[in-house]
Amino acid sequence: MQPLANITPLKPAGAIEVRNVGQIFKTTTQDVVALDNVSLDVKPGRFVVLVGPSGCGKSTLLMMMAGLRQQTSGTITISGAPIPEPDPNRVGVVFQEASLFPWLTAEENVEFPLALRRVKKDERRAKAQDALKLVGLDGFGKRHPHELSGGMKQRVSIARGLVQDPPVLLMDEPFAALDEQTRMTMGDELLRIWAATGKTVVFVTHSLTEAVYLADEVIVMSPRPGRIVDHLQVSLPRPRTYEMLSGDAFGSLRDRIWRHIRKSA
Amino acid sequence: MQSGLGVKAARVAIVVALFAIWEILSRTGIVNPRLLPSASDTLVTLGDLLQRASVRKDLVVTASEVATAFALAVPVGALIGFLIAENRYFAEVAKPLLFFAFSIPKSIFLPMFILVFGVGFSQKVGFGFFSTIFIVIMSTTTAVESVKVEHLTVARSYGATPMQTAFRVYLPSMLPVLLEALRISMIFNLTGVILAEMYASRDGIGHQIATWGENFQMKQLLAGVVMIAVIAIAFNELVRWVETRCSHWRT
Repeated sequence: MQPLANITPLKPAGAIEVRNVGQIFKTTTQDVVALDNVSLDVKPGRFVVLVGPSGCGKSTLLMMMAGLRQQTSGTITISGAPIPEPDPNRVGVVFQEASLFPWLTAEENVEFPLALRRVKKDERRAKAQDALKLVGLDGFGKRHPHELSGGMKQRVSIARGLVQDPPVLLMDEPFAALDEQTRMTMGDELLRIWAATGKTVVFVTHSLTEAVYLADEVIVMSPRPGRIVDHLQVSLPRPRTYEMLSGDAFGSLRDRIWRHIRKSA
Repeated sequence: MQSGLGVKAARVAIVVALFAIWEILSRTGIVNPRLLPSASDTLVTLGDLLQRASVRKDLVVTASEVATAFALAVPVGALIGFLIAENRYFAEVAKPLLFFAFSIPKSIFLPMFILVFGVGFSQKVGFGFFSTIFIVIMSTTTAVESVKVEHLTVARSYGATPMQTAFRVYLPSMLPVLLEALRISMIFNLTGVILAEMYASRDGIGHQIATWGENFQMKQLLAGVVMIAVIAIAFNELVRWVETRCSHWRT
């Protein structure tokens, strides 16, 4: 990125800063502390995975980074500015399998964010084509979601998240509904797309193998109240390969995460 | 829904057989032909009736009553249904009450409609509206509930305005359920208007049918029955055809 004249941006595009963030859900009977004093720095272009037992608030944290939910305390900045509401130019979000609109074709689904901003039809179509090509779905644009496999649907979701070229991609258990083989393939695909685009990725998952396989860094969270209990650097070389899964380095990282999670289960 | 050629042929065969049995029962005198004129005679009478200016006028009257009642009941009912479904408190309060209202036979209110509106256009439209609106409200609440939270979250995360969310998420999500609602509402609507015409009226096809019945004009009566049946089935099938075209939206 070329800084304009002498003005250097405070935070480069794609940086995520989470400072002392807390989240309290008020119910009629009691207040539930979902997140407690969470701080986290994600440098631009990093692949960071959030893991933790169900109810640890990892998805909640992701939703707050997306501007879909506001924290009770603390601050979150994306590319140096707070995110009081969703901003698709700064953040793309990829959800679980059921998030495509079944009444739209694959390319119309990808165009959806652009259509909301009234981007012209030709430009929209061209950008959607590029995004579909990037995720390896060239030629599938006219299909409806029910005509696509689970893996292909998630490729469309990723294309939709990337179509406005935001520096940050947030992914909420995107491969949870896929079978084991498809999940592995999609992991490789995601790493390829990530390497090609240089996006900052924050990825939420339940799978420890997936976490270590994909990540530069793994953030391990504890159950309610959600806190960060460990922050691992995964120094395995890239590109990651299937053989690494059975290696010692991989195993010891996964064991370390498992020990945290077992303790809290 | 695709059904094989054999299934379609079987359906046609059943309809043809019913008409054949009707014809035979009447022709052989097993059933008194004065009570049950033959199918062929009935169809000939139907052709004659459709030529008659007075019958055509009655059809136009009925059609305009049905259309007006429908055009009022559907948007009003849909709006009420939408507001109820969107507010959890309203939904909880109103839903059982709607079920109560829905379970009451609407025909017992017909005399009141005559007292309030007199005998005429507004009485038919009013009663048609009243017969239809509850099913529209209930179907709309079901339709709103069929909108997936995930889809709303997607729209929000890409910065959709409330208007965009309404037209790009709510409407297409609800459409399959709404079409089904439309189809069923029309059944209620047609029943309501024709009942109102048969009960007290000066014109309309329902009134004609009642008159033919009272005067023991069985050929005309049966022709009228066939006529209304065909119209109702045609509308039903038209909407069902549209429904099947967007059936995969549900998934």
